[in-house]
Amino acid sequence: MRVTRRTFMHVALASAASLSAERALAQGIASHTAKPLARRAPSGRPFLSRFVDVAAVSGLTAPVVYGALEGQKYILEAIGCGCAFIDYDNDGWMDLFLLCGTRLEGDPEGASNRLYKNNRDGTFTDVTEKAGLKAVGWASAVCVGDYNNDGFEDLFCTYFGQNRLYRNNGDGTFTDVTKAAGLWTVEARWGAGCSFVDYNRDGHLDLFVSNYVQFSFTHAPVPGANTNCNWKGIPVVCGPRGLPPGTHSLYRNNGDGTFTDVSRESGVSGAPRTYGMTVVAADLDEDGWPDIYVACDSAPSLLFVNNHDGTFREDGIVRGVALSDDGGEQAGMGVAIGDYNRDGHLDLFKTHFADDASGLYHNDGTGNFDEVTRASRIAVETRYVGWGAAMVDLDNDGYPDIFMVSGNVYPDVERKLPKYAARTPRAVFRNLGNRTFEELQEQAGPGVTEAHCSRGCAFGDFDNDGDVDVLIVNLNEAPSLLRNDVTGSGHWIKVKLEGVKSNRSAIGARVLVHAGDRTEAQAVVSQSSFYSANDPRLHFGLGNIATVSIEIFWPSGAREVIPRVAANQLVTVREGAGIVPNKGWGKR
Amino acid sequence: MRCQHRARTCGRTLGHGWRPAGLAIAITFCFGLAADASAGDQVDAISSALRARDYDRAIELTRDALKGSPNDVQIWTLQGIAFSRTGDNTGALAAYRRALTLSPDYIPALEGAAQLQYQAGSRDAVPLLTHLLRLRPDDPTGHAMLAVLEYRDGNCQSAVGHFAAAGALLDSELDALHAYGTCLVRLKQLEDATWVFQRTVALRPDDARERRLLASIQLMASKPREAADTLTPILEGGAVDSDTLELASSAYEEAGDTARAVSTLRQAILLDPRNPNLYVDFANIAFAHQSFQVGIDVVNDGISLQPQAASLYLARGVLYVQLAEYDKAEADFEKANELDPKQSLSAAAQGLAAVEANDLDRALATVRKRLASKPEDPLLLYVQADILAQKGVEPGTPDFRTAVSSARKAVALRPSLAPARSVLAKLYLQAGQTQAAIGQCRKALASDPNDQTSVYRLIQALRKAGDKSEIPGLLKRLAQLREQAAQQERERYRYKLVEGERTPAPSPPR
Repeated sequence: MRVTRRTFMHVALASAASLSAERALAQGIASHTAKPLARRAPSGRPFLSRFVDVAAVSGLTAPVVYGALEGQKYILEAIGCGCAFIDYDNDGWMDLFLLCGTRLEGDPEGASNRLYKNNRDGTFTDVTEKAGLKAVGWASAVCVGDYNNDGFEDLFCTYFGQNRLYRNNGDGTFTDVTKAAGLWTVEARWGAGCSFVDYNRDGHLDLFVSNYVQFSFTHAPVPGANTNCNWKGIPVVCGPRGLPPGTHSLYRNNGDGTFTDVSRESGVSGAPRTYGMTVVAADLDEDGWPDIYVACDSAPSLLFVNNHDGTFREDGIVRGVALSDDGGEQAGMGVAIGDYNRDGHLDLFKTHFADDASGLYHNDGTGNFDEVTRASRIAVETRYVGWGAAMVDLDNDGYPDIFMVSGNVYPDVERKLPKYAARTPRAVFRNLGNRTFEELQEQAGPGVTEAHCSRGCAFGDFDNDGDVDVLIVNLNEAPSLLRNDVTGSGHWIKVKLEGVKSNRSAIGARVLVHAGDRTEAQAVVSQSSFYSANDPRLHFGLGNIATVSIEIFWPSGAREVIPRVAANQLVTVREGAGIVPNKGWGKR
Repeated sequence: MRCQHRARTCGRTLGHGWRPAGLAIAITFCFGLAADASAGDQVDAISSALRARDYDRAIELTRDALKGSPNDVQIWTLQGIAFSRTGDNTGALAAYRRALTLSPDYIPALEGAAQLQYQAGSRDAVPLLTHLLRLRPDDPTGHAMLAVLEYRDGNCQSAVGHFAAAGALLDSELDALHAYGTCLVRLKQLEDATWVFQRTVALRPDDARERRLLASIQLMASKPREAADTLTPILEGGAVDSDTLELASSAYEEAGDTARAVSTLRQAILLDPRNPNLYVDFANIAFAHQSFQVGIDVVNDGISLQPQAASLYLARGVLYVQLAEYDKAEADFEKANELDPKQSLSAAAQGLAAVEANDLDRALATVRKRLASKPEDPLLLYVQADILAQKGVEPGTPDFRTAVSSARKAVALRPSLAPARSVLAKLYLQAGQTQAAIGQCRKALASDPNDQTSVYRLIQALRKAGDKSEIPGLLKRLAQLREQAAQQERERYRYKLVEGERTPAPSPPR
């Protein structure tokens, strides 16, 4: 096209005017940007939840080592890792598991994944070595599930290098059974997100693993080497663009402690190669079969829809969860799943890069989504690189809120561009109950406003006081444990499921809590947030509703309804048996 | 204006096509048809007079002959020929019409009448030519004349068929080839247009203008290397002009040879330092390669020589926006508006600069202020709609209705403004008006088939409408477009312009 002045103006204006799909500077990250919405006047409603970081007093003082403190050379050092709430000893109190990385020049003293046993008094004890979980490497994600249905939750950890399956022996220890289980890969891969999921509904948890990038120290370029090694004109670690994307894997549980790679026959490995990150497996189209959503970085995110016959079809773009609302690729990292508008369907929230808004996707109940980021006013916030997140009622007012952690991925950029600080605060989007959110800052407490370079985070009730606390991975620092102090009289209920015909962990179950004229949906998932695993006890805030009914769609296909359940308690439901006694939890 | 001139020139050129042959054919035909001896003698006499160029005598003879044979179609036709030779076209047309009333399929009369009407530039030639071509479908002259008429009336769809049927008749007709090529461009048949303009270059290989035309078409057809090759003989010829250099620069840039594009453009600037377009072109290259400050520095040179060129301030303002120097950008847009209040680009750019500065409210206020004085400006209307959409206006609210009506008005005023259609599709989707969204997406794609956003939105809209048959094809198309865009981005970002030693700004010629 001849470049007339008119053409230039239109080109320039189109470039500038593509307000939600600006193709910005050459860089390794998807360049989709969005203009933040103007913030409205605060609602003035008090937020009855306050987060305080109690990590230090709880005993969580060991730093999560991950990459160089400055002058990072490879993207491997920048991505970070996840964490988990896991009741590894079945005493009814959530223990904590934190992954850890290393450094290029060698494993620092004390660097290791860590398991912390809950002492039930607000403190934790490091039982890593005793549990047999001491390990150091470039850990990525953790997913939790009882893959052998022995009643004890197991751990699968992904790595750059070799993923690991840790079988919970039931006696406080774990055994690395990766090879025995058939999950050992000959060549090093960069394992990213993972999820246990019973995709074929045979009662055994299978395993889906996403892979990020095909990375090798020998071939990886260094900062500034090419256009994928720059961000806003500053040399940074390269990628993911420019590096070959990963392929994803599905392993079928053979029911005997071993797995078979069914990536090809299931159709999973035939999906477009992408930079896979967090994995969430849930029945998004409510047909009784679990689907698998993979947040992808700088590429269309993937939605594998279960065909009920051992195969999946990838439908992310058609169903509106792969791209921005104008068809642009985004840097998708973490995923929260919940029901923000309490219509009984599972919605998704995906965290994105700075200068872009994290995306909220409303599910119409058929597994088709509309992006409602702007309509919900989540788009007031575009300053931070978002990582882990959850859609959960933080203040028990009956409306699921959104909590997100952040942290820059290019720590050196701060020197030249102070607006892109390396450490940034958390974000709380409080649900106003009218399908919109307002972002809170100081009102949510110092645990939210403190700035860290965070990555994974897990949500759960470590002190069993009926609310949701947050465990956060901070790179090269001690983690945060944000204790949620909820005031007010908002009711709540927690639901713990035990599968019988279904897998023991009930992963894949969909739970509806009917509270008055409201219905909120949640799912039992093996991973969400960023590379992390939440407390499997589903927390529902109820506001002023004191009695609810609980409807459970078990992974086996069975449906169960438990009417007239009183609020403010944990109910444990065993498949086919109704409510059974809790482990280690008393009524408040 | 240019096209009409060509049409008239075409007309004059092509109108000669039938004349020598026509006369001979008419005369021969008339001889052949002479039924009785007396009629034949009369026709003989008239024809002799015509051949002797004694046209007045021929007219007189036809009048005498018609007294006895008033329904003789040959004599009427010969009278028409005679009148046309004397320049009495009115008399000629009357005679031809009379002949055609008697025998509507009489080819010599049809040819004569058509030619006269054609030369007069009258649309009355069209039915005559159409009739003629029904009788003689392969008549290249008839096709050529009809093609020119259709072209002149803007009926390119009809014209191109006739141009093609004119075949080799056009090979030596430069203006007709231009008309043909222009029609093909309008119909976006760029490959065929390229072929036509290659014929014009073959006619005039040393004509820089012809080569520039061909190169322009080749660029439009996304064939920049061919465009560069087309221009090479002129570039290497010595006496190259700035227009050619400018076009060559575009070709090199499109072909990924940014270094050559920049050096060629610099050459153009040195040759024609007062040409604002050249600085705007440079700004475009700088913009594309994220070399904003370099672009600003060059545009500054242009402004020093052409301080009243609104386009330069506009270009510089856009570059300032990219550097987040919003105050400077604002000042430049104001200046551009002051210098050329009729154009709306600067107002739109001001609004967008405010958007870039994350101030959607100010952006909207700016655009609305300009709209107050230019309510029918499609670009401003589109920008207003887009800003409102970005503010997250909800269906059913007054602002949403304003956004929709703005976008609708923008596309009504400028149907080719694809971004406005894209915004309108988005708003329709939000409002649940799925079919309307589908319609807008399709129209946007008709203007710009590479618009990924419209392809994506069309997929979403079709899915919501339950019409899934097209979706697999659209998904493939989207994947291809994404790959192409990624490739283009990689190519574009291979180069970044940096300041070398600054050569002094070109001085104005004394």
